[in-house]
Amino acid sequence: MTELKFRRFTLNQRIQHIIFFTTFILLAYTGFPLKFPDELWAKWMIASVGGFDNRTLIHHFSGLLMIGVSVYHVVFHLIEKPRFDVLFNLQDISDFKQQMRYYLRLTDQHPKFGRYTWKQKFEYFGAGFGAVVMGFTGLLMWKPFEAMQYFPIGVVQIANLFHTWEAVLASLAVFIGHFYDEHFGKFPNISWITGNISAQEMRHEHTLEYEAAMKDQEPEEVTETSHGNNTGPVTMLAKLVFTVIFLAITVWMLWISYNVLVDAVTTYIF
Amino acid sequence: MYLRAGSIKIIALLFLAGMFLTGDALAQDRVVDASCFHCHTRQVTQFEKSVHFNNNISCTDCHGGDIRINGSVVSIDVMSKDFAGSPSRVNLTTFCSKCHEQVTRKYEKSIHWKKVQEGRPQAASCIDCHGTHNILSSKNQASPTHLENIPLMCGGCHENQTKMQAWYYGIKTDRFDTYKKSYHYKSYLGGGKVLATCSDCHENHDTKPEADPESAINPANLPTTCGKTNCHPGANNVYVYGGKIHEEQSVNLFFIDVKTLVTYFYIIMILFELAFTFGLIFLGITSGLDIKGRKNHD
Repeated sequence: MTELKFRRFTLNQRIQHIIFFTTFILLAYTGFPLKFPDELWAKWMIASVGGFDNRTLIHHFSGLLMIGVSVYHVVFHLIEKPRFDVLFNLQDISDFKQQMRYYLRLTDQHPKFGRYTWKQKFEYFGAGFGAVVMGFTGLLMWKPFEAMQYFPIGVVQIANLFHTWEAVLASLAVFIGHFYDEHFGKFPNISWITGNISAQEMRHEHTLEYEAAMKDQEPEEVTETSHGNNTGPVTMLAKLVFTVIFLAITVWMLWISYNVLVDAVTTYIF
Repeated sequence: MYLRAGSIKIIALLFLAGMFLTGDALAQDRVVDASCFHCHTRQVTQFEKSVHFNNNISCTDCHGGDIRINGSVVSIDVMSKDFAGSPSRVNLTTFCSKCHEQVTRKYEKSIHWKKVQEGRPQAASCIDCHGTHNILSSKNQASPTHLENIPLMCGGCHENQTKMQAWYYGIKTDRFDTYKKSYHYKSYLGGGKVLATCSDCHENHDTKPEADPESAINPANLPTTCGKTNCHPGANNVYVYGGKIHEEQSVNLFFIDVKTLVTYFYIIMILFELAFTFGLIFLGITSGLDIKGRKNHD
């Protein structure tokens, strides 16, 4: 009997994901040093990409690539086969309520999810909102004099404000939320490379979709892989390295959020 | 120890050559400076590092007087002829204009000189930016007028609240701080090739206030100022809204300041995001703990 796997991401989607996260990391790496130019880490990061002008070049072209892949994503998925189970619906609200009740030990019953959980929908539309905001404001800031032919300088400054805030928000969501949920908690999650998830994960995370797919199957035809294969020395070492990187990025992001928030509070509130 | 005749000849030749070379060097070393050195040691030492010294300018060229004397005697003739001594802040331009005629005329159009004329001699003149005896070429990286040192040089006065308030009420002292928020400064700090410092927009010698119609930062002249070939080419051919780059500017939407609105929105979003992410991580971990022997999710 062969090991049962479920196709979660097509090759097209996996390539989109790889381009999106590569440009995202490059943009964060070349963007945040500009917000805190006096910090030592910022100077080190700028030097590590070969100087300020390289930093600008990388940031601009990563941005263009991200805009490109975002536009492609929308156009491709609208043309190919629009699917409506990614949209929020009433079920998500009851799922969320039940998950909170489960977390607070008010019920033993974990909500059963379909293909997309409420949290994954949040992340998906959050990324979409972020890409739109960052794309438009980034273009305005890249060509301020072209922008000022149509808008006053205040709009360019507002674009700058949006760009910083959204960068912090998106990086918090991705580097802490998304990393923890999808990569740290499920380590090693290689479905972004293979496109497949195990039957066990499928049954565990996407119960309704699993049940729908297995409706016509006889139970004994199926074997499931167990968690047992995740404890090899290489896996453990990789997990250790990933944990250290994850924690370092978390501390860095919290430092950035703290400073941006303090700056905003002192400028706009007091 | 015996020296052969050939050796002696060579040594004698070397000695003569040494005499000749040092003599030549001494001849180039200005005796005029050596005589001033007796009393004005500090000034002459500073002066010997300056661009003027390297271009064969001597003390008398600025200070006047006559010091063509025997180097071993301190001259009492020094105050003869056109001796001018040390310049005051008001007649300083007459010192520099002896050679730097054009640039002095340019400086005399500036707000700095105008203020000196109005009886505020603390306003910046030649020496405040360029230094006195130790003047260096602006191409020299150690010079305060070198491109990379200009913000610090201008900020030295314009950022100093005590100086600015004591001298002229009403000058804004946050110009360097507001410049620090700009991409111009960040590129300058990071060593980027695309940068603009104070003098790129405000001009250096003939810096004028915004209200002056001839000022580079007068709204009417901004297209030319910003649209320089290496800066924002094309800005001078089209209509540009523009605005004050040092000021925070915003747009009102239904009488609400958009910047404040955006800031409040994102403060709430980020606090929510942090609480949400870490709250869910915490709840996820604690709910996974098998405390009351309940049936856990898988």
